[in-house]
Amino acid sequence: MSNDGEPTGVGPDQPFWTHAQQLEKTPPCQAQCPNSGDIRGWLGIIAQREKTGLSLEQAYDQAWEKLVNLNPFPATLGRICPHPCESRCSREAKDGAVSINAMERFLGDWGISRELSLPGLGDPTRVESVGVIGSGPASLSFAYQMARRGYPVTVYERRDLPGGMLRHAIPDYRLPRDVLDAEISRVFDMNVALVTGVEIGRDMSLEELRERHTLLFLGLGAQVGRRLGVEGEKGPGVVLGIDYLTQRKQGVRRNLGARVVVVGGGNTAMDAARSARRDGAEVIVLYRRGREEMPASEPEVTDAEAEGIRFEFLSAPLRILRNGTTLAGLEVQRMRLGLRDADGRQRPEPVRGDTCILEADTVLVAVSQEPGWHGVDGDGPGGKWLHTTSDGKLAEDLWAGGDDRGPGIASRAIAQGRLAAEAAHAQLRGEPMPEPWTSRPAVDSAAVKPDYYRDLCRSPAVRRPRDEWLTNPESEIDQTLTSEQACGEATRCMSCGLCFDCRQCFMYCNAAGFTRIQQAGPGRYYALALEACEGCGKCIELCPCGYMESREGSGW
Amino acid sequence: MITRTTDGFGQLGERSQALRSKSSMPLRDGSRIAVIGAGPAGSMFSYFLLNMAESVALDLQVDLYEPRHFCHRGPAGCNHCGGVVSESLVQRLATEGIALPDDVVQRGLESYTLHMDVGDVEIATPLHESRIAAIYRGNGPRNSEPMDTHSFDGYLQQLASEKGARIVRQLVSDVRKHDDAMQVECADGSVDDYDLVVLASGVNSRLAKSLEDLAEEHVSPALTKTFICEFRLGKEVIRETLGPSMHVFLLDIPRLEFAALIPKGDYATLCLLGDDIDEELMDRFFGSPEVARCFPGGVIPRHICHCYPRINIRTARPPFGDRLVMVGDSGTTRLFKDGIGAAYRTAKAAARTVAFHGVSADDFREHYWPLCKKIDADNRVGKFVFWVGSLVQRARFARRGVLSMVAREQQQSAAPRRMSGVLWDLFSGSAPYTDVFLRTLHPAYVGSLVRNLVAANLPDKNRDLPRDPGEERA
Amino acid sequence: MATLGKEYKDREVIVRQGEAGNCMYVVQEGEVEAIAEVDGREMRLRKLGPNDFFGEMALFGAENRSATVRALGTARVLTIDKKSFLGGVQEDPSLAFRMVKVMSQRIRDLTDRLAEHHLKG
Ligand SMILES: Cc1cc2nc3c(=O)[nH]c(=O)nc-3n(C[C@H](O)[C@H](O)[C@H](O)COP(=O)(O)OP(=O)(O)OC[C@H]3O[C@@H](n4cnc5c(N)ncnc54)[C@H](O)[C@@H]3O)c2cc1C
Ligand SMILES: Cc1cc2nc3c(=O)[nH]c(=O)nc-3n(C[C@H](O)[C@H](O)[C@H](O)COP(=O)(O)OP(=O)(O)OC[C@H]3O[C@@H](n4cnc5c(N)ncnc54)[C@H](O)[C@@H]3O)c2cc1C
Ligand code: SF4
Ligand code: SF4
Ligand code: SF4
Repeated sequence: MSNDGEPTGVGPDQPFWTHAQQLEKTPPCQAQCPNSGDIRGWLGIIAQREKTGLSLEQAYDQAWEKLVNLNPFPATLGRICPHPCESRCSREAKDGAVSINAMERFLGDWGISRELSLPGLGDPTRVESVGVIGSGPASLSFAYQMARRGYPVTVYERRDLPGGMLRHAIPDYRLPRDVLDAEISRVFDMNVALVTGVEIGRDMSLEELRERHTLLFLGLGAQVGRRLGVEGEKGPGVVLGIDYLTQRKQGVRRNLGARVVVVGGGNTAMDAARSARRDGAEVIVLYRRGREEMPASEPEVTDAEAEGIRFEFLSAPLRILRNGTTLAGLEVQRMRLGLRDADGRQRPEPVRGDTCILEADTVLVAVSQEPGWHGVDGDGPGGKWLHTTSDGKLAEDLWAGGDDRGPGIASRAIAQGRLAAEAAHAQLRGEPMPEPWTSRPAVDSAAVKPDYYRDLCRSPAVRRPRDEWLTNPESEIDQTLTSEQACGEATRCMSCGLCFDCRQCFMYCNAAGFTRIQQAGPGRYYALALEACEGCGKCIELCPCGYMESREGSGW
Repeated sequence: MITRTTDGFGQLGERSQALRSKSSMPLRDGSRIAVIGAGPAGSMFSYFLLNMAESVALDLQVDLYEPRHFCHRGPAGCNHCGGVVSESLVQRLATEGIALPDDVVQRGLESYTLHMDVGDVEIATPLHESRIAAIYRGNGPRNSEPMDTHSFDGYLQQLASEKGARIVRQLVSDVRKHDDAMQVECADGSVDDYDLVVLASGVNSRLAKSLEDLAEEHVSPALTKTFICEFRLGKEVIRETLGPSMHVFLLDIPRLEFAALIPKGDYATLCLLGDDIDEELMDRFFGSPEVARCFPGGVIPRHICHCYPRINIRTARPPFGDRLVMVGDSGTTRLFKDGIGAAYRTAKAAARTVAFHGVSADDFREHYWPLCKKIDADNRVGKFVFWVGSLVQRARFARRGVLSMVAREQQQSAAPRRMSGVLWDLFSGSAPYTDVFLRTLHPAYVGSLVRNLVAANLPDKNRDLPRDPGEERA
Repeated sequence: MATLGKEYKDREVIVRQGEAGNCMYVVQEGEVEAIAEVDGREMRLRKLGPNDFFGEMALFGAENRSATVRALGTARVLTIDKKSFLGGVQEDPSLAFRMVKVMSQRIRDLTDRLAEHHLKG
């Protein structure tokens, strides 16, 4: 029997006195969620409802409340969020990540059907008034967090309806209007006033607004589509994807012709391509990198392909070809992936001499968007992006968040709105900044023991039959989980880094160190008497979720 | 033509049936017994009680409560001890027909090796036979790879279960009187009634509170902290360095009563007993050359598993009441040594009382208490013996005397082995402390010791003695 | 290695008839046979396997071994000291239950065999 692999050293170098302690950790899902969603927390309320004596309804209500604490739009994000939270879920290697996004959607729909209202924080009404420019997710998140802290809020939106990109860009088949309406209206049920049709910087100056409010939040988004900058781009037939989508959402139908080429690989490109397909065109998507590099999520690409959309990867438009002024098509430059740039992405570079012609009636340009703002200037190299502190501060009375600070996803916009509100509130009240939700140490992946948990397959995605996608083009493809599925999904959560009452430490501790807490709840089931601990490590070894750990570090 | 002789056992059974009826609380067919804890005491109680009940055709229902699985590898399956099954317990179990299987016995030990600053000396068993078993209470130390090992506690629990005990995987949270019965409540809230509750939950019982209400004047055991750790050395290294021997250290370290290194399969278990083992004491211990000497290359490797369990230093009193009896560590145990042996003895005495007499406090007082008192009295002598031992540990000239006497005895196989015997019994826990003590009063022992004290401490008489590393260093 | 007792090789004698003895044995592993030597002829009394004991008479008075016991194949055997046994029985008479049971069984077997012998003869 060999000794290899075993670390050696002089005995006393090792901590001999080690004790167990209970310590809540940040689970991987929360660490990955841009908004630090307390996923484990709201799933736990449902999964552990029997231990805490809740009925299923009560559990759903409470879980919803916990969820909207950070995210006022669960039914919305439950539909459109690319759910990075699921990417590192500890359950992944066992039998698939927990369907966090589908659960979020389920609870969101639950809240809508129950007409639950957003929870306040019991703060008194305050005198400082808050103005919010824009009504995208960043702005509404900020408005919500300020309103629940007692501030009177006014939202200024240049368009006729609030919601930003969620309302004006994301197609109905992904996000039905009634869902968005229901969730947005809840924000305005609070002490939040809405002024529409006012563009700040044009209809009213920023200075004027500054006078009117103690504090302003800029959630202007990145509303202006970027052009390609190639020969022949000017003229009919070349349309910005974002403009096409916005018009489409407003009910304006454009004649695209039979052949549409979409340039780009992100959300806008996918939505534009799939919308054009719904408008009856044959669609080709050009993307200059490969499939893996696409910013759009893999399922979206697969769905687009299922709808008959063709992808040309490693392809970039070289010039737009015209017959007189009419669009004829475009010349395509084939690319390959070259050296990595500063952020590690391989830079596409042209393959000399390898070009081809694609015929088209319309080219939809969906390469990226940037803020289009009159009145304040950003100061970065991008020209228009706002440069704030990490919690969103531009000036004492000026805060910002969302796509105007750089392109992102809705969840990040909501997070930035919330963080700005927390920071602005702390500043106004002269209080210290609250601890970030993810300030706790991460769960050590080795400390989570998937084998302990019962095998439970991920609930299969509920979707409408594929052949209906195009025949019924605006109705939603994905469906909500049933209550039964939702319960099953909640129990799949392994509660990484927080006690869920598996009872093992309590049962195994020889020192009788654990006592049951009377008013039990997720994370609060047993009290550990530290002086009782005999340092054996049973609880640490057994705790399936990594909540128990050594007080002296890993030298155990 | 062939007349069958009546089974001698059956007759015994009838007699005890008669005895039993004298009790105010005899057990009858169908009586229910809750045994709390399936450590050695609980499992052996269940096993022997069912065995005896069977022989007197008494049909009992025994529920053995144990929340834990002993099949876990690593600390989870373990019940925290050095894992030495003493010579006397090995023999008694064999007599009972319980031969510890090979996968339970991690190593058979044939000798003790004493390590002192004045030198090392080995005390062998008579006949060079493996008479002591080194076992794992659980299923091997932390991170040990699957081996053909089996937990000692798991094995005993299995014996009990095969005899008919029902294993209940629950933690008992309360025991109380309920009319004429005893009521056992589990952590999950379930409640059950019993005719007898046997408490075998070890030293750290969370039931202490309940007991204070049940047995008047109940005194819980007094405890002190100890230290155990495991080193992974590999079979080869163990063969070369430690061999089939238990290594005992007699070092001049205050508060350290007993320190031993016990080789098992691929591992060696280190066990420190004393008065609240703490960091300072361990630093001194691990800093001693006598300890480093035992490890390959004189380097103490990293330990892979450790704990600092509490140990009984004063037993519970009285360890019984009506329909209630405490066995093993929750009742009475031997000071520092052979706790499993004491668990066996108390378990069996309690089982006898229950099977052949009854379950009233009077029954236990008459038939169980004497054994506990005997163990207690012996522990008092033991304290004294340990105290004398600590004097020896403190005085270098005395250590030399002991070393010299043992070395001579071990060299001359025919001579009476007085010192060896005394030390053997002391370390192995094979004989009552009283026995050990009485033998040290034997004139021949005293004479021999004096002679050796003188001889060993005369400068020129050291040549035929084992190496004295202290001397070399000096 | 993970064993108790002492190992005996095939046909190795563990106790010899007529020799003095002060301990009993319990087979741990393998088999042993008990043999009576009558007028220089060997007669196998019985074969013993794991958990069986022999040499118990030495504990109860008879000082000399009544039979020879030797290993049948490799066998491992543990000794039980007279002193420790008697001490045990004194504290706990039931320690002897199993032995009494087995010994009475053996007496019964012998009686049977004796009777058979008589009938045949
Ligand atoms: C086509 C498309 C699809 C997308 N799909 C997804 C998806 O599936 N999942 C996901 O998470 N994210 C998606 N996104 C990104 C997401 O929508 C944005 O990250 C998010 O909406 C940004 O929110 P925001 O509040 O910063 O800005 P916006 O949502 O852009 O809102 C800004 C608002 O400010 C208003 N405004 C601007 N300037 C002024 C002014 N001067 N005065 C008054 N009002 C003004 C605008 O009218 C607008 O309502 C998608 C984006 C697009 C374009
Ligand atoms: C450091 C150290 C070294 C030792 N070395 C040795 C040695 O080498 N040899 C030796 O013979 N003895 C040794 N002992 C002593 C020996 O460990 C004990 O005497 C022996 O374990 C006692 O057995 P027990 O059955 O009474 O209790 P335990 O072995 O403690 O078993 C108690 C059982 O009860 C269960 N239990 C506890 N509470 C409850 C409850 N509420 N409900 C249900 N179940 C419960 C536990 O899970 C456990 O399994 C040592 C002790 C220590 C501290
Ligand atoms: S198992 Fe639960 S807590 Fe762990 S990462 Fe997945 S969703 Fe989060
Ligand atoms: S199981 Fe108990 S004694 Fe062991 S480390 Fe955990 S708290 Fe300490
Ligand atoms: S072992 Fe179980 S009960 Fe104990 S802390 Fe971990 S999850 Fe909670």
